Amino acid sequence: MTHTIALDVASEAKQGFPRGIGHNGMTLKQMLAENRSTYAATGCYRGVTDPHVLQRDPIKAELFHTRMLSALIAGREKTRMISASPFVREVAELAIGIYTPDGDNIAQSTGIQAHSKSMGKAIQWMIEQDWESKVGIAPGDMFWFNESSIAGMHPADVYDILPIFSHGELVAWVVTVIMEMDIGAISPGCMPVPNIERGTDGVRFIGEKVGSNDRLRHDIHLKCELSFDMSDVFLLDRKGAIAANLHIRSEVEKMIEEFGLEYFRSGSAELIELERRNQLERLRQRTVPGRYRNVAVFEYLMKDQPLTWLAAKKDVIRLSPIETRIETSGRVSIDFEGAGKWGWHSFNATPEGMWGCLSISLVQTLSYDGRANLGTLLPFDLHLPEDSIFNPRDTRPLAQANIWATTIESLGVWLTSLSQAYYMRGYREEMLGFRSAYALAMAGYDQYGNRRPMVGGTVGTIGAAASAIRDGLTGGSVPVPHVDVGNVEIWEQFIPYLDLSRRLNPYSVGHGKYRSGLSMPIMNLMFGGREITAGALCSGGTYNILPNLGLGGGYPGAKFIRVIVRNTNAMELIAAGKPLPAQVGHPADPDVIRMLQGDVWIPHHVPEPFELNVGDVTMDANGAAGGYGDPLERDPQRVRQDLEEGMTTVDIAERVYGVSCSSPENDDHCEIDKAATTALRNDRRESRRRRAVPVEDWWRTSRERIAGNQLPAMISEMYQSSMAMSPAFADEFRAFWALPETWKPEVK
Amino acid sequence: MSLTNEYLKALLDGKLAWTEVKNIVSRPKDDDRFLRVLEILQQRTGWKEKILMPLTEHLYIVQKGNERVVRCDCGHEFGDYRCNWKLQAHILARDSQASLEEIYPGLSAPNAELGEVREFICPNCAVLLKVESVPLGYPLIFDALPDLDGFYREWLGTPLDDTCEFKDLSLDTTAAWGKALQAS
Repeated sequence: MTHTIALDVASEAKQGFPRGIGHNGMTLKQMLAENRSTYAATGCYRGVTDPHVLQRDPIKAELFHTRMLSALIAGREKTRMISASPFVREVAELAIGIYTPDGDNIAQSTGIQAHSKSMGKAIQWMIEQDWESKVGIAPGDMFWFNESSIAGMHPADVYDILPIFSHGELVAWVVTVIMEMDIGAISPGCMPVPNIERGTDGVRFIGEKVGSNDRLRHDIHLKCELSFDMSDVFLLDRKGAIAANLHIRSEVEKMIEEFGLEYFRSGSAELIELERRNQLERLRQRTVPGRYRNVAVFEYLMKDQPLTWLAAKKDVIRLSPIETRIETSGRVSIDFEGAGKWGWHSFNATPEGMWGCLSISLVQTLSYDGRANLGTLLPFDLHLPEDSIFNPRDTRPLAQANIWATTIESLGVWLTSLSQAYYMRGYREEMLGFRSAYALAMAGYDQYGNRRPMVGGTVGTIGAAASAIRDGLTGGSVPVPHVDVGNVEIWEQFIPYLDLSRRLNPYSVGHGKYRSGLSMPIMNLMFGGREITAGALCSGGTYNILPNLGLGGGYPGAKFIRVIVRNTNAMELIAAGKPLPAQVGHPADPDVIRMLQGDVWIPHHVPEPFELNVGDVTMDANGAAGGYGDPLERDPQRVRQDLEEGMTTVDIAERVYGVSCSSPENDDHCEIDKAATTALRNDRRESRRRRAVPVEDWWRTSRERIAGNQLPAMISEMYQSSMAMSPAFADEFRAFWALPETWKPEVK
Repeated sequence: MSLTNEYLKALLDGKLAWTEVKNIVSRPKDDDRFLRVLEILQQRTGWKEKILMPLTEHLYIVQKGNERVVRCDCGHEFGDYRCNWKLQAHILARDSQASLEEIYPGLSAPNAELGEVREFICPNCAVLLKVESVPLGYPLIFDALPDLDGFYREWLGTPLDDTCEFKDLSLDTTAAWGKALQAS
């Protein structure tokens, strides 16, 4: 039975109030208000306490959901066939969702599933701003949205929004998101780092009506042609998105004809409510109630960026404790109390961005049965302190090109807590985690003489975390599992470089009894173009401090390594038929340094923009996620297999795993020396005994340094920020180190 | 659907092929998993005291008389489970570039001037129990404090014989260390 309470807006509509385009003459705003109040009153989505419509006929219900899902996936593939951008055609960095009239997600396609709630938030913002009466919403209208201060992961993600009408009322929305290579931002790329103010982020759409009668407005078309260096790519992406939306609209119309409007309406609400219940049930079934903790770290290094507002030129580190509480009701709260203060850079997250990253984390680890929708998130609460890096009070003046960097770093760390809960409950096979990553973005004249941004999509090849029963996935990307790096040859058509490597990097690994997957480096030789400026493409926050991703004795993966070699002899080597670097090699002497002559520069993850010319070589070697368990307990036969397959090296085998082998690495056959391995492992354990000290001793030594304010200035400032933001964090910090109540970190 | 005992043991021991693991992930969950795993762990440790919950690869929360303690499978105990067990462990803090490069060579090493990699070692068997990577000065992370009573009572439907307050006791230990420091 469905309860409707609070607002009897339908009868208000009948009594002479302006007729809305929603159900029973309600305005969308009235529907949204009623929806929220029924949820608050009943705890059930749209007050559906008895989801009988779907449960009455399970086969029909299954058909209903499958039709919706297949329409979404077909729409996604249609977009790929029309778009020109390799981000869409090759990487498939897009997603599509179907929404209720008041903007709640019912079903979503595969792809970048960070947007399911956020695309609905865009609709809800438009509803709250009276789009219905002040802008007008009619069949065939099209709206664009990339206003990240309201919804979205960054301005490069553009939402194409299409209302669906049936029987004279708005019955649903379909929204497609595509990540754009060019959004008109300052150079380099579509997610530039040297930007701090909104105007540098590129073109923003705040739900503008960009078309009607299924046609794009002429003036909008012209605006795009003038605004973007790659207007052809932008407009073809839009055509792809519009085609997908029209396809899905047509499929929804057919569904309504076949199932009936009332079934569509009730069934949609019940899909959300059932997913809410299923999610609670999954949490109760697979986790353990209690409190879980971790910490995420963000290094925002802006001192050397060419900023025009000089006050923003500073390097800061921010941290965020992450406390997860799983209640016996199954509800989960994720609390970021203690997070540092926001700053003038483009890395501040937003609440919607955090929900987006939670969404994409959950659909890979907990809610992976294809039914994820708004209900997936309803059992969760996020506590994002106001004015912290997650929730600046006023986001409007801020650049937001890199919201994703902070959100994905946070949720990547959070997944270790979820994995810990899975482990304790016995579902060791469910443990999963990922690592954030970096690449380069560029801008300049390409090999065809066109000036434009150049953003490669190869950042996605990061080794995933190990579980307690197996090694992590290699070369995958858990945040976006349905994307791949695409064909190198296609990227080489878009960016004037040649790809030098597809070799996995054994030194990227998070070691352990089960190791993480391996990451693949991005190594490029510039071979064309001119006046090219490069800078960071950020999908993470840490650099100097490794993210805390190890579990059960496993280590986090290695530090990200970036090497730039300018003025190389690469062209001469090619002409002479001599080998070029094709792998990372040993991190103490990487192949790009060892094999090339040239000027070597080793910048951090967010360097100031720099020039690249023909013959220059760049290498970005991302670290992998975390390992699981003591590496000295790794089965030597697994190490042998890794050696034979080039997944590890003799150096790592001996130094980290205590395994001695009698054959060289990369050989077809390798023998483990059992006696030497036993001796080596015993030696490693003895070394631990000698070097490790009781924690109390370590605590005394560390305390002395902290109490005397002898920490590095950036670290002290980081604690200052968190302690000023959160008295609770400050109290616990002082209590842990037994410091006086008056103690404060001082920057020296 | 329950897994057979042998199949479950093979799963826990990492002996199943990925295709088999994938099948387990894809199908409805075996609701009895927790108790079945506990039974296997109880057999393997051979302990008389009841294991209440596995914490990590080598650590368990065990009912010892009226106490619930964290115990390594070598037998070493770390005290009340509501107090972060790391406080009673041994630590190898990799806080110099040289020590970090033992694990992460060359350019792959994090920066010892800003952060450290803490290795927590069992004082008895020297197994590596946990690795923690944090900025310098960050308090030890209490990774997991399970609500044992809530779990057994409300989720398993089999309340534990006694109850204890769900509370983090870790700061009591550091307060005591602080007092000892003052006294000395």
